[in-house]
Formats: sequence, structure tokens, C-alpha cells
Amino acid sequence: MTRWFEDIVIDEEFPLGSHTFSEEEIIRFASLYDPQYFHIEPELAKHSHFGGIIASGWHTVSIGHRKMVDALFSEEERLKSEGKSPGVSGPSPGVNSMDFKVPVRPGDTVSYTLKVTAKRPSNSIPGWGLLFNQITAVNQRDELVYRADLVGFSKLRDYRMPLKLKLLLALTKAPVLGKLIKRGS
Amino acid sequence: MTNPVTENRRHFEDLAVGEVINLGTTSVSKEMITSFAREFDPFPFHLDEKAAKESLLGGLASSGWQTGGLSLRMLVDNFLSKIASCGGLGFTDLKWKAPVMVGDTIGGTATIAELRRSKSHPQWGIVTLDFDIRNQKDKPVMSMRLANLIECRTPETAA
Repeated sequence: MTRWFEDIVIDEEFPLGSHTFSEEEIIRFASLYDPQYFHIEPELAKHSHFGGIIASGWHTVSIGHRKMVDALFSEEERLKSEGKSPGVSGPSPGVNSMDFKVPVRPGDTVSYTLKVTAKRPSNSIPGWGLLFNQITAVNQRDELVYRADLVGFSKLRDYRMPLKLKLLLALTKAPVLGKLIKRGS
Repeated sequence: MTNPVTENRRHFEDLAVGEVINLGTTSVSKEMITSFAREFDPFPFHLDEKAAKESLLGGLASSGWQTGGLSLRMLVDNFLSKIASCGGLGFTDLKWKAPVMVGDTIGGTATIAELRRSKSHPQWGIVTLDFDIRNQKDKPVMSMRLANLIECRTPETAA
């Protein structure tokens, strides 16, 4: 999905859309992953310095991730509709930093934006590149909710595998081939 | 004013750098992986066995955000719900080192790496924790450094 590594433009901004957090879903997420009293107990949460329940940071971030995945699929659809071949996104090796700023309260609407700040071919996985993604999330008052610096894999379009690697790959497949030949006979 | 929810819990002054929190273990089922992925991470490699086999993950694996969420849950159960926690500040250096596959059991430790008082809020301290999450084969699957706010028992002595 999305674009090929080569077609990613540095610092191009993608609005990812917004999400309004209900009290019900804040409690449901936190009950599973972050059951602290100020995320799941509206009455007890009044004693906290937040003065009421707030969303788990992990929840606002997970929604931000969903928004990014949706945007990658939309980009794939857009490219296909123009008759172009879409690229391939891979899993993520990690997150360099995540800063939670203002809390998200029930009824808040959070808007997410994605920007690729840098890219380079992967040293460890041939044929793939690394994208350095920045996601910013702001609430309806334009206050920063979080800023994240993430890393993602993206497939190279113009990659040609060196002969040495091709041989290595063939060797790793050999036992399977052997098994198939045996089964066939 | 004391907070009746947290007054009898451990405070900033009760913690020490080097303390190791045993997080216990959690088993990850196919149903858990696909239900999280449907809501938050609907890449084919988190939803569909065949697509997952052909992907870099090599099989149906949990979303990294779910692995992190499950690790956080273990920290809440074993630590954050027993201290005067005031919420998370964020994290750094999160690394998804190996995929968590259907049927895996993950667990590990969180170690207190740093304790410092908040400069802007004398009633709070910041506890920094290093996660070491492994699967049942003792293979590391995730690490990160998490920062969490905690109430101080004696804010007036803050420097």
C-alpha cells in the first residue's frame, strides 16, 4: 500500500483526519491496556490532578496509528485510480520518541498529521527502506496532544538484488524444494 | 490536600533506582491479535494468516502497539496501580525486536532507571523505567524507556 520508497517526498504533510473520544471508549480501551483509576473510574478520577477521566496515552497513539494506516490505504486507492502501481508498507522497527503533552478528555476531538522527515535504505533488510515518520496530534483548541517520531519500513521499487544474496536466498529455499521433489515422486 | 486514592500507595521517596519490577506473563491469542488489529492496525499481516506468511513478519503477529499495550497493562498491574501515579509523560527508544506470534507468551521486567523531581511542579517526581519484554523462548521482543509522573510525599523539601 501507499507509495514506493522512492516516491516519498520529505516534509510533505498528510492530514490524517480526526477522532472524537467518548467516555465509553476511553474506559473500554484503558480497562484492557491501562487500567489506572484516572482512565477508568470517573468518580475516583475527580481526586486526581486531572479532575476527571482522561484517555490513556496509549489509546490516543493507537488511534493515531489507525489514522495513518487508513491514509496509506487511501493513497493506494488514489494511485490505483490513476493507473499507477502502489508501493508496499512494512512493519515498524520502533519509535524514537513519544511526548504526551495535554491530556485527552471525553468529548475531545483530536486531529492527526503525518510528515516523513527523512528516509534511507535499510542496512539490515535488502530491498526495503526506512521512513522516519513524525505524527503530531492536536485537540479542538489546537493544543498539542502528542508528538511522535516513528520509524517504518517501506519497499524499494528500483531494487536489484546482488548475485551473492540471490544465491543465499536460493540456498535457504533448497530444503523446501527438496521436500517437494520427494513428495512428487 | 491528600488524594484518598493514592495516599497509602508508594510515593516518589519510596522508590530506588535499580528496583526491578517483575511484570509476570501474558499469552497472546489469535483472537486478541485480530480484534486489536481490526480496530487499530488493519494491515493484512496482522489480520490474515496468508498475507502474514508472505510479509516480513513471517506469520500472524500482534501489532507492535498491542505488544506495547500488553506490556503497559503488566506494568499497571504490578507497579503503576501500587504507586501514586499521576500519568505517563511518554517514552523513548521503543524497539520492536521480534514479532509476537499467535500463541506466544510474553513477559519480563521493568527496571527503575532514573528518579528525578519535576522542576516545574514540586509536588511531582518523574520515574523512568526500562522495559525488557521477552517471549517464552527468552528472545527479546520489545524494549522501551517509559517516563511516568508520581506524587512526592514531601513536596516542600523540593530543591
